[in-house]
Amino acid sequence: MRDLVHRLLVYEAGAAKASEPLESPTLRVYEKLRQSLGEFVGVAGFYSLASRALALAKPEAPSLNTTVVSGDGALQGLGEIQTQIDMNKDPAGEGGIILIACLLGLLRIFLGEALTLSLLRNAWPGEVFDDRNSVHGRNA
Amino acid sequence: MSTQDKVKINKLPTGVPGLDEIVGGGLPEFSFNIIAGAPGSGKTTLAHQFVFANATPERPALYFTVLGESAVKMLRYQQQYTFFNPAMLPGSIRFINLSQVVLEKDLGAVLEQITKEVEKANPAVVVVDSFRTMVRKPESDMDLQSFIQRLALFLASWQATTFLIGEYAEDELRDNPIFTVADGLLWLRQTAERNSIVRKLQIIKLRGQDSVPGLHTFRITDAGVQAFSRTFGLTARKRNPPSDRRLSFGIAELDKMLGGGVREGDSALIAGPSGTGKSVLATQFIAEGIRQGEPGIVAVFEERPQAYAERAASLGLDLETPQKDGKLTILYLRPLDLSVDETMHSILDAVQKIGAKRLVIDSLAGFEMALAPGFRADFRESLYRMIFALTGIGVTILSTVEVDESFTEFPFSTYSISFLTDDIIRLRYVSIDGQLRKIMVVIKMRGGNHAKDIREYEITSKGVVILGKRLTEYQGLISGIPVHSGRPDMTEEPSQDTGIEHNT
Repeated sequence: MRDLVHRLLVYEAGAAKASEPLESPTLRVYEKLRQSLGEFVGVAGFYSLASRALALAKPEAPSLNTTVVSGDGALQGLGEIQTQIDMNKDPAGEGGIILIACLLGLLRIFLGEALTLSLLRNAWPGEVFDDRNSVHGRNA
Repeated sequence: MSTQDKVKINKLPTGVPGLDEIVGGGLPEFSFNIIAGAPGSGKTTLAHQFVFANATPERPALYFTVLGESAVKMLRYQQQYTFFNPAMLPGSIRFINLSQVVLEKDLGAVLEQITKEVEKANPAVVVVDSFRTMVRKPESDMDLQSFIQRLALFLASWQATTFLIGEYAEDELRDNPIFTVADGLLWLRQTAERNSIVRKLQIIKLRGQDSVPGLHTFRITDAGVQAFSRTFGLTARKRNPPSDRRLSFGIAELDKMLGGGVREGDSALIAGPSGTGKSVLATQFIAEGIRQGEPGIVAVFEERPQAYAERAASLGLDLETPQKDGKLTILYLRPLDLSVDETMHSILDAVQKIGAKRLVIDSLAGFEMALAPGFRADFRESLYRMIFALTGIGVTILSTVEVDESFTEFPFSTYSISFLTDDIIRLRYVSIDGQLRKIMVVIKMRGGNHAKDIREYEITSKGVVILGKRLTEYQGLISGIPVHSGRPDMTEEPSQDTGIEHNT
């Protein structure tokens, strides 16, 4: 799962260079998920999934303790963590990655791998997903 | 207006096996339909089947979910059905959640949102599931009828075939202006009958084309909704003209009694008490057909196909080889909560698959017991439809029925179904010379002459064997307790009747 998240981050890091270089790739991935998933699960539906994912991620990533999911599903506090990660190269600061991995993991549990990938393909181009990138992932 | 001037309405496949036949070949393109019914009756599943059958990347389907079942849960469950193809999401099928708009705004905003999405996606199919939840919102600026009318007008103009899904009770059907707007109204019902659930659907309204009236059984399986037309999908097929050909039992003396055999396309009944050899005769009938190159179907309800074939083997009849060769199908119809229509569907499938000419139903009692209690009340009517449909396509049906042995009466069937049958062979026990022996008599042959003789028979390792000549030295044979008449045994050939049809 985290392997797939890394790929999404790499893609967004590349895309961000051209458009909004200061925005965190993690936040960009999260926001894309919020937009595309929110369309079919609704704002309340996405909030429920994201808050659950955050609860699952926190024990593994204490740096997420100050992060919250707002009523519209947006993340508050993740940007600060990302800045800290970039500056200090803190390996424990993979909180954003863990959070997104938990979110995708929930989707896989509820919808299965095929449908989850179909939904992700709506938000990212096909090359991000190849045979190696099942949502099980190498590091899941 | 000539036929050429009339607009041709395309019919879209419903994606629901059996439903196309019921709605008259498919649902009209650009129609505005309502799928109504109680919770759990299969409305969403039916809509999904239509969506998956018709959506394309060029003309996708928009599936608007409102309040009620969450989209995640809906997709979690719906993907269990075999028709669900996850690769079609979201390119061909897009799920759009309108909950927030419904909760925070009014119907005008909902219409605006739908309009915006439709103009963006140019969909072929639009579903609103469930639009009924919007109705319950009290503070709508726009009344529901106006909303429905504007939605219908807009979606039809945008060339979309539309489904509104709603939970409705039967008594809400009357005087409801929403139903007036709809081109099609599909009503799904499910009722509990003792321990079984009976599901039926009705096309209450469908503009522009003929649908099959009445209540049609449907079932929800791994493949989704499957409907069974009351006419068994045979409305478009012409009935075969009556045939004079006779089908042999492979028992020369019985064939003679029947005036040469059972007439092709007849419905014949073998009635008798337990142990008199009804199933043996039926097995010989099907085996003789196979021997003569006529594929057959045996529908069994009381034993498994393997056991049936093994019993046939004990009579020297090989039913294994023709099954392997595709000349014979033994259908075991699980005795739980079937409807006659489902049974018919299975039988018709098998008939068409192997080109069957002979069908054995063994037995009607088992058939009835296999039905859900709610369907048993309609057993005779359903049986009539089934026999009419099958014999109409040239299949010869041989049914067995167990009758209670009585020494005061001579009933042909406990079901009062003799009017459904063209030919009746009655088997019974008689007490003769301190032995319980068996006799048979042909009661009725609608298509011609038959013997009037009462013949004794035995069941041997070769099946039913008819013994000697007709029994002339006893009187009162059909009472089961005959008396010796003192007349010597007759030696002439078995007699035929005069051709006068017997009323039974």
